[in-house]
Amino acid sequence: MNIHDYRGVMVLGEQRNGTVHRVTFELLNRGRTLADKLGVELSCAILGDRVDDLGEVIRRGADRVYHVSSPDLAQFLPWPYTRALVQLIEEVRPEVVIAAATTTGRTVMPLAAARLKTGLTADCTILDIDPAEKILLQTRPAIGGNVMATIKTPFTRPQMATVRPRSTRPAARDESRTGIIEVRNYSNLASLGEIFLEYMADPTQEVNIQDADIIVSGGKGLKNREGFKLVLELARVLGAGVGASRDVVELGWIGYPHQIGLSGKTVSPKLYIAVGISGKVQHLAGMQTSEIIVAINKDPDAQIFQVADFGIVGDAFEVVPELINQLKKIKAEA
Amino acid sequence: MRIVVLVKQVPGTDNVKMDPETGTMIRTARGNVINPLDENALEEAMRLKQAMEGVTVTAVSMGPPMAIKAVKEAIAMGADGGVLLSDRALAGSDTIATARALASAIKQLGDVDLILCGERATDGETGQTGPMVASMLDVPVQTYVQKLTVEDGSMIVERIVEGGFEKVKVKLPALVTVVKGINQPGFPTLAGKLRAKEVPVPVWGPAELGVAPEEVGLKGSPTRVVKIFSPKLSRETIMHQYKPGGRAVEELIQFLAGREII
Amino acid sequence: MRYNPVTPQIVEQLMSIVGEANVVLEPEKMEVYGRDETSEAMWQHMPEVVVKPENARQISEIIKLANREIIPVTPRGAGTGLAAGAVPMLGGILLSLERMNKILEVDRENLFMVTEPGVTTGEVQRTARAEGFLYAGDPCSAESSFIGGNVATNAGGNKAVKYGVTGRHIYGLEVVLPNGEIVTLGGKCVKDVTGYDLVHLIVGSEGTLGVVTKVYLKLMPLLPFVADLLVPFDSVEKAIKIVPTIMTHGGIIPTCLEFMDSMSIKAAELYLNQKLPYSDAAAYVIVEIDGNTERQVEEDYETIGKLCLENGGLEVFVADNPSAQDRIWKARKCYAEALRMISPVYCMEDIVVPVSQIPRALEAINGIAEKHRVKIPCVAHAGDGNIHATLLREDRDEHTWHEVKDRVLDEIYREVYALGGALSGEHGIGAKRKGAMARFLHPAQIDMIKSIKKALDPNLILNPDKLVDVL
Repeated sequence: MNIHDYRGVMVLGEQRNGTVHRVTFELLNRGRTLADKLGVELSCAILGDRVDDLGEVIRRGADRVYHVSSPDLAQFLPWPYTRALVQLIEEVRPEVVIAAATTTGRTVMPLAAARLKTGLTADCTILDIDPAEKILLQTRPAIGGNVMATIKTPFTRPQMATVRPRSTRPAARDESRTGIIEVRNYSNLASLGEIFLEYMADPTQEVNIQDADIIVSGGKGLKNREGFKLVLELARVLGAGVGASRDVVELGWIGYPHQIGLSGKTVSPKLYIAVGISGKVQHLAGMQTSEIIVAINKDPDAQIFQVADFGIVGDAFEVVPELINQLKKIKAEA
Repeated sequence: MRIVVLVKQVPGTDNVKMDPETGTMIRTARGNVINPLDENALEEAMRLKQAMEGVTVTAVSMGPPMAIKAVKEAIAMGADGGVLLSDRALAGSDTIATARALASAIKQLGDVDLILCGERATDGETGQTGPMVASMLDVPVQTYVQKLTVEDGSMIVERIVEGGFEKVKVKLPALVTVVKGINQPGFPTLAGKLRAKEVPVPVWGPAELGVAPEEVGLKGSPTRVVKIFSPKLSRETIMHQYKPGGRAVEELIQFLAGREII
Repeated sequence: MRYNPVTPQIVEQLMSIVGEANVVLEPEKMEVYGRDETSEAMWQHMPEVVVKPENARQISEIIKLANREIIPVTPRGAGTGLAAGAVPMLGGILLSLERMNKILEVDRENLFMVTEPGVTTGEVQRTARAEGFLYAGDPCSAESSFIGGNVATNAGGNKAVKYGVTGRHIYGLEVVLPNGEIVTLGGKCVKDVTGYDLVHLIVGSEGTLGVVTKVYLKLMPLLPFVADLLVPFDSVEKAIKIVPTIMTHGGIIPTCLEFMDSMSIKAAELYLNQKLPYSDAAAYVIVEIDGNTERQVEEDYETIGKLCLENGGLEVFVADNPSAQDRIWKARKCYAEALRMISPVYCMEDIVVPVSQIPRALEAINGIAEKHRVKIPCVAHAGDGNIHATLLREDRDEHTWHEVKDRVLDEIYREVYALGGALSGEHGIGAKRKGAMARFLHPAQIDMIKSIKKALDPNLILNPDKLVDVL
């Protein structure tokens, strides 16, 4: 493999039922920055049977769209998707391939990386280009989420990474952008004895904190299940979603769907209020892109204050009731 | 039918401590456990073993010599036998190199019908090794599986995806990564514990795996960790010390009102 | 005793002591302070005012005020008690210690932890563990109960068989006495016979003799290796007989030795919504052992396991890693919540008998349950003879329930005393068992308790109407 034969940044877009999914635009946001730093083209691969409005992918930042079209790609099956992606990569030879850490991305990317005999880094929170070497720096929380590790793929191409959904904003639409849409029809994608039977929607599966504008989140500083109720009450007053650190979920004070962080959900609300959360990297990975972060913690050295816009050093059991009272007063006056 | 379960030894949740001086992780044998989702994989293998005739279950783990405990624990929980991949040449493996060693072990075992493992491990949290093993063995793979039935050389799985479930039929041999909801892991029995002490667990290195030493370990890993650091995430923080009757909460409300949040 | 009401003037004085923000008067906010985990309405009573002091000095002033004005003061921890001990049955001032929630010191050289009373027991355990130590007090409510409440009730729990009850880990207390004086009894000395053992007079006094404001807890080196055994048995008798056998024939003192009867197993299964192994067994015995080396723990569990199999155990499950251990303990620790699913109102008892008498006690309870057609699922800290027998109300009306309950309890207590036991092993007397205690203790013993109470609290303002009727 001559690594200099590889050029360009490719993101693996996603479609659901023929419509380009929002996560694609988040990837384009990341991909655009990387492509500009490298001075190369940004392409977006969309795998599917029929897909509407590929022009939107251009308007959101891609220079080129590769729509790999085949009836075998109508539903997600690991091997047809992987074969399509591997063939496209072998033809296009991008130096960087980024996908979303969705159930699809996290299945296809490792299958493809193993085929391509190249490296893959999961769940990156920061992607950057080394200015000297012009290679991809992939940064993710490591070791149970206490530290960050920066990883590179020096000898093989493409350099592959997944990033968590909602860890970036979608790229803004630019109506004036132009680009090329290429359709590639691949045959022989049929699966290794995999047959898609059915999809069943389950509305109860997701507690929808990812779409909340405000999230109030609690940690071990609330001491016990009873104390955690303060978070629930503050959330109720604010009309907010409820989040929690991993410790709290493991102690059983609230269920897993509320867990925010590396092993839980990634959120990016307008306001994130962290109560009694120390701020391990594991947790920060899931919330640091929030627009405004407020932290309430007894320990003035708690790491959470480093990412906060507004911090109150104090006992949650004093601060939060007062905050709830004042908010209620404002509500009553309004 | 032969089932291989991939088990990883991971530190128990409150057993990872950082060395404040060096920033590296201190791990001890104390409190190490089988990765919880791998326990679910093992339990699923036991379930199939109980439901069908002629099923044998082999646990395969890769790690330092002390990871033999994970294999022994799997045998205590009902696996028929196990193999530990442990060798200096395997140290420093990334997910690709780990998958290469595991895939080679499965090829050495031969005639494997089903490979089960947890969807991810609690320490690395990459979730990559399982699918990579499937890729190297060229077998079908299903990830995030919460239900599994086997019949006539095929299986039907239910996998959790965003907003729902997918039902897929897959021909064996295949690899499946499981999620927590698939079952409730059981307990090892005293008889199992005693048996685990007796059953020899072979330790394999590159020679036994039939791979060149440079294909595994750090040398066989396409990725390199270039830096480990405590993140500087700083925003400019307005700090207030709370005092009863003080102004901290009021300042916060002013701040939020100024940003048109409330 | 006639007490005076809490007037607006008194509220004002309380506010000047603890600050306006720490005085609660709104009925909806005071409601939670008017009950504990005892599920019956008769053991609920609203306070007139709730105050939340943050130090001993403030408590001292509050108590002096209450003494001047003759107002009852009820100290309260997390409210997880099961005998209405922290319920202000006569109204008055409810003294909540929730703001005194700091761990003050972990003394690594002397193996002590010094804490305020409002720290949860779970936090004490976790803090000790993080430093490589064991705090061995372990009531089932550890996640929510306060250490101060554990001291006041001399809480028992799971590890008492090897490590003893809370009092055994307490070497010193700072106490505000009923006259408002602040005194430190004991401290970090392991030996101290200088005068009466007043530390252990306060321990278990249920807030009637003083308010604990600082606790000196003894820590132990954490034995790093732990294993739990879960053993189903096809008869209660066989299950209980194994308990002394483990200690006598096995020569091992386990850290925990727990028993669950069939009804409790079924309830746990229902509550956890999962199949437990051998859940149709007559009983489970759970054994925990700890040790300094892996080999020692292994030898111990093999010895115990074999003894169990030779004596009627249906299977022996071994959990020697934290995740499997959590799964075993979940079944035992959900007892209180699980029963609530079957019957929201119940009466949980904590009788205690000599270990050898457990089979007879359980048999007697069974007989009484059948006779009165009341369901009484039982679990036991079998290693120390402490039985939780819980009478389920189910759909009985209020009147029938009280009638049946009183009769059943009386019969159970009679059996217990006949077997050389006592009516409370760890929950305490509070308001709930005051009548029963008066019937079953020797009058001279009741008189001793009264004399002590009167000597220390002549105005009877501190947690009055609990334990004994002084007048």
